[in-house]
Amino acid sequence: MEFAFTEEQVMIFDTADAFLSEVSTAPAIRESMQTDLGYDPQVWDRLCQEMYWQAILIPETHEGLGLGFVELVGILERMGMRLFNAPFADTAAVITALLKWGGEKQQAEYFARLMAGESATVAVIDRARQWSADAVTATATPTDSGYELSGTYRFVSHGHSADMVLVAARAPGSEGSQGVGLFLVDTNAEGLSRKRTPTMDQTRPLAELTLDKVNVAATASLGCPGNSGEALTQLLDVLSVFVSADQLGGSQASLDMTVDYLQERVQFGRTIASFQAVKHKCADMMLKVEASRSIVYYAACAIDEWVQGRYDAAQLAEAASMSKAYCSDAFFFVSGCGIQLFGGVGITEEYDIQLYFKRAKATETFLGAGAEHRERIAHMLLAGEC
Amino acid sequence: MKVLVAVKRVVDYNVKVRAKADGSDVDLNNVKMAINPFCEIAVEEAVRLKEAGVATEVVAVSVGPKACQEQLRTALALGADRAVQVEVDGMVEPLVVAKLLKGVVEKESPQLVILGKQSIDGDNNQTGQMLGALTNMAQGTFASEVKVDGDSVTVTREIDGGLQTVKLALPAIVTTDLRLNEPRYASLPNIMKAKKKPLDVFTAADLGVAVSTHVTQVKVEPPAERQAGVKVEDVATLVDKLKNEAKVIA
Repeated sequence: MEFAFTEEQVMIFDTADAFLSEVSTAPAIRESMQTDLGYDPQVWDRLCQEMYWQAILIPETHEGLGLGFVELVGILERMGMRLFNAPFADTAAVITALLKWGGEKQQAEYFARLMAGESATVAVIDRARQWSADAVTATATPTDSGYELSGTYRFVSHGHSADMVLVAARAPGSEGSQGVGLFLVDTNAEGLSRKRTPTMDQTRPLAELTLDKVNVAATASLGCPGNSGEALTQLLDVLSVFVSADQLGGSQASLDMTVDYLQERVQFGRTIASFQAVKHKCADMMLKVEASRSIVYYAACAIDEWVQGRYDAAQLAEAASMSKAYCSDAFFFVSGCGIQLFGGVGITEEYDIQLYFKRAKATETFLGAGAEHRERIAHMLLAGEC
Repeated sequence: MKVLVAVKRVVDYNVKVRAKADGSDVDLNNVKMAINPFCEIAVEEAVRLKEAGVATEVVAVSVGPKACQEQLRTALALGADRAVQVEVDGMVEPLVVAKLLKGVVEKESPQLVILGKQSIDGDNNQTGQMLGALTNMAQGTFASEVKVDGDSVTVTREIDGGLQTVKLALPAIVTTDLRLNEPRYASLPNIMKAKKKPLDVFTAADLGVAVSTHVTQVKVEPPAERQAGVKVEDVATLVDKLKNEAKVIA
């Protein structure tokens, strides 16, 4: 693993900073989160056609750039800093699934569509709060031409607007992680309905999808049909790292805007940043942010190693759970401290720190909170898997 | 037509610079560096000329330490075809930069040289004009519009109180003003291509230029801190203060 950024990576991140500082300002985010789509489609077009960010993971043989997960995570961190709200991480997760488990024809078809600017997302669970293959309730019944999919999915990020969705569904009568398959479904398929659900964090729209006897071809299945429980777990691990990167960016932005405020606000004849107790709090916040950065970029390297077959599923799971556990707690702590240091007014609509606080809480529970991921690592330690 | 475009490594415009404690210079430790914004506009204009089929090759050139190769790579990522670095350490004043650029002009024989009108660190606004004098090429400074037509280039200049349009015989020198264009972002494919594009390095001796100093920087100090405002009781007091203290109205 290489731990220093290359010249190209630095240039990519600098360009991402510049682009996002133009298109993902606080007023722009506030405006777009009120729209039905939940993001600005023109910005998404620019992201795809001008910046080519959706091509990062797509191999050069499919007209992509064939870059790695460090580059992707670096951009996701910067998106988190600016509360970017387009379906970039979800689309990247589907691209990862295609890279790992897609056949040649599937890769050719779907990579071309995604390169052209279509978006994708992942749908896994219904009411269960457990993000795992065990919790899959939708069914995939084999038919003469493929599969018939039925079931309801909640907490689908950008599910109301994505062009395609990667769904998890199980063979009728199967239990646990057995019988689970992954299927790529066009969201305009007959029998698929969807609606946006109200969320506290409006910067990350969620949707509920219902599949009522949706017929898909056998070629829509990724990996081994009925035997993709482990693949789903790995995909959720990858997505967890993507969310961690977003949380890292949010933590950094929360710290930065809090320190700026503290250096401006005067009380008792001096800026409140000069008080020792306030400095201690900021030091604690910075510690969390820097530790988050270390684990997120380690996890990104771990995904690279896993994709190339040098890391097994357990090593990926360890890195992903460490990343999600730490970053979830850190983002909530840092943005929460920010609210306190703003003197309480930070939670009011006029201030942006409240948007980060809400995003921290929403991303904390999405894909499993810190406690759940720590418990998973504990199980792995006891089983001698890490 | 070959276009030579000069880029300078400066402190990023978003950075709030600080003077060193001893006041000898600006503190550059751990400070983000970037292409001078006016130079970025110059690169953009050159790349647009190439995309329009007017220019056949865009060569980016920078004078400075090895670190300025970062900015040359950025220029390559923005669309320049190749780059030239003239390696010089330490502070280089505009006259020396102009002499070094003259050396590069003689090697490359460009039809058009585009520079930023000034850099945001030194704010000298001298290099383009000095290069014009040294090379005896026509110059159009503070350009807000550039049109190449055959053997000439028409430059609309931003001057006090309006615009002036001049026609220059090629080869010529153009310095860019803020409104000439809006620079693009380097796309991912171009960033990846940039590392494969050629970058030649020359020394001042290669170009036959002696690096000398005519100006000594005596002191650097930050601007005076803004004083707190005052509340006035009524409009009459405000008018009185504007008239007699600030003296901004008669």
